[in-house]
Amino acid sequence: MSASASPAPRLLLGTESLLGVSSATRDRTLQVAARFAEPESLAVTFSKALAMGVDGVLASPTRTLRQALDELKGAIPVYALLPNVPEYVRDSSELGLFGAARKRFSQARLAAQLRLVLTGMARAAGVLASDFAALVPLLLELEAAGLGARDLRGIVLAAPLTDLALAGRHRRFFERYCRFVRGRFRAAAAFETRNLGHLIAALDEWGITPDFVIGPVNPKGLLMKPSPAELLEALRRTSLTVLAQELRAGGRVTLVEGGRFAIAAGARGLVPDLVDLDEASELKELSALLAPPGAKAGRP
Amino acid sequence: MTSAFSSSAPTHLNETPKPLKPVRVGLIGLGKMGVAHAAVLSMIPDCEIVGLSDHHGALGKSLRGMGHRAPFFRSPPKMIAKVRPDAVFVCTQSDSHASLARQALEAGCAVFVEKPLAHTLEDAESLAAAAAASRLPVACGYTLAYVPIFAAARHAIAAGAIGRLRQARSSMYLSQTFGPRKGWMYDAARSGGGVLANVSSHLLFLLQWCLGSPVEVRATSNRIFSQVEDEMHAMMRLPSGAEVGFDSSWSVPGYPYSAVVIEVEGENGRLLVSNDALELELTSEAGGYPPGATRLREADLPQPARFHVNSEGYYLEDADFLRWATGGPAPPITLEAALGVQRTMAAIYESAREGGRAVRVGG
Repeated sequence: MSASASPAPRLLLGTESLLGVSSATRDRTLQVAARFAEPESLAVTFSKALAMGVDGVLASPTRTLRQALDELKGAIPVYALLPNVPEYVRDSSELGLFGAARKRFSQARLAAQLRLVLTGMARAAGVLASDFAALVPLLLELEAAGLGARDLRGIVLAAPLTDLALAGRHRRFFERYCRFVRGRFRAAAAFETRNLGHLIAALDEWGITPDFVIGPVNPKGLLMKPSPAELLEALRRTSLTVLAQELRAGGRVTLVEGGRFAIAAGARGLVPDLVDLDEASELKELSALLAPPGAKAGRP
Repeated sequence: MTSAFSSSAPTHLNETPKPLKPVRVGLIGLGKMGVAHAAVLSMIPDCEIVGLSDHHGALGKSLRGMGHRAPFFRSPPKMIAKVRPDAVFVCTQSDSHASLARQALEAGCAVFVEKPLAHTLEDAESLAAAAAASRLPVACGYTLAYVPIFAAARHAIAAGAIGRLRQARSSMYLSQTFGPRKGWMYDAARSGGGVLANVSSHLLFLLQWCLGSPVEVRATSNRIFSQVEDEMHAMMRLPSGAEVGFDSSWSVPGYPYSAVVIEVEGENGRLLVSNDALELELTSEAGGYPPGATRLREADLPQPARFHVNSEGYYLEDADFLRWATGGPAPPITLEAALGVQRTMAAIYESAREGGRAVRVGG
């Protein structure tokens, strides 16, 4: 399966901690959520991050993120992390899966609703059979519309869904997902996972090449599955483009230490989260780690 | 490079459990927990999911749509009779746990039941009797026993780090219920109760595992939004006379994921464990810990699960149960332990119904 023409990003600013997904302490996560509760402060940080050499923002559809993106004068490159799993889980525990989907449908704009109907009709047989490979595109349509990004560069499937399909060894799902994202959104197709070693092994075995994958790599081995040693070996062997996240191992190492380790291990890009940053200038240091020798970090 | 990952923190959770021989598993109940167990079981070596069952055909379709290819049955007994699994996972609503588990035991299967063991103490005791008669392994899904930070706390207490217990306080909070809710979880006749039965029975298990079973409880509860209790407060007295505070709510903001805190004071110092960290402040060296302050985070502890679904816990819990089911040692989450939790829970509900009167546990 061929990859899309656009190059993979090397440095993305993650925002998952704003959804409550974080291996940092609860206090730290709450502190960051409070700091970025206002869209303006988030927009300012995004602007600074771009100036420090970040290629884009990894963002899920939330009201604050959408407002922050609207706030910016210029379009910021967005890699959409879909779906917003915590919100979907909350909604579905009350409304059921179909109720949660109906809520999103009713909130979508008319154009998005029409687009969803077309996508659903094209996959009618799979939708009726509850095939993940047919249902996930519908979910992506709904959620992408909710983000409202002006410069959508990629769609990254959130780890809980990637890992369910991985556990089911659902090869066809991974193939169709890549084809759908590239065809429908003209964007990079990527996966986030908490089981990076397993995902690399499966994609390599199946000959499937997403534009990149995102998973935990850090000097403490936190969340490195199936084991730190096996993941490092997989990173050494694979030709897939891997972007490392969980760089600070829940706060046990500095961002630069984590970034340096991940790059040495074979990661081709880094995804620090807002919760990982003490100073925006740390992004410049990460950018410098990723820059080819002689190149200057950050943007002029 | 890999040596950087080695951990010397004292915990019993050092190795990855696995079945001692190939094991065939049937899964009953394909909702949220069933999906999580299906994912984990698919990644455990020598474990094969051979049958799926749920009254709702759509859930069977949905799981098969995720790539799981085992045959699906609407009827659990039919699934058990047809595919003859070695072990059955019961992940249905609480009021069906005991009857489904008994059917599996009668067919000669080891059984894993999601928590709580049952929706009533009577049902839990009837299941315990059936399990005793069958002599087959039965475990219950108190997964916090397999979260490294809590396992390390239990190890420290069991190793005598804080010495003789003086008192303890604990809490478990979750932001889940802020208005009238529907579903079996909010129907006490089906779930056994509210936040205590559905969420903080996990905390009761941890307290019992770390500190022992209480002999007496006094409790009060509040209904704020739903037909079941949204908050539960209890004081529990241990056989030594030490008191353990317990506070739980699923109606407080700021907890998108459940958060546990246990603080224990002993004659040699203090231990505080939460989802974030394990902290010890000891007067003298004990239990493998030095005098003074020690703080451990999850990244400082071994993380032996080979597949991550929500946490380390699910993989380790399922793999440890399957090791037991294939001839290995008993895990901490045995039916006996779960029955102890059920007895404490029943006493807490009785006390809360009677305005906080002291109620003896199990009696």
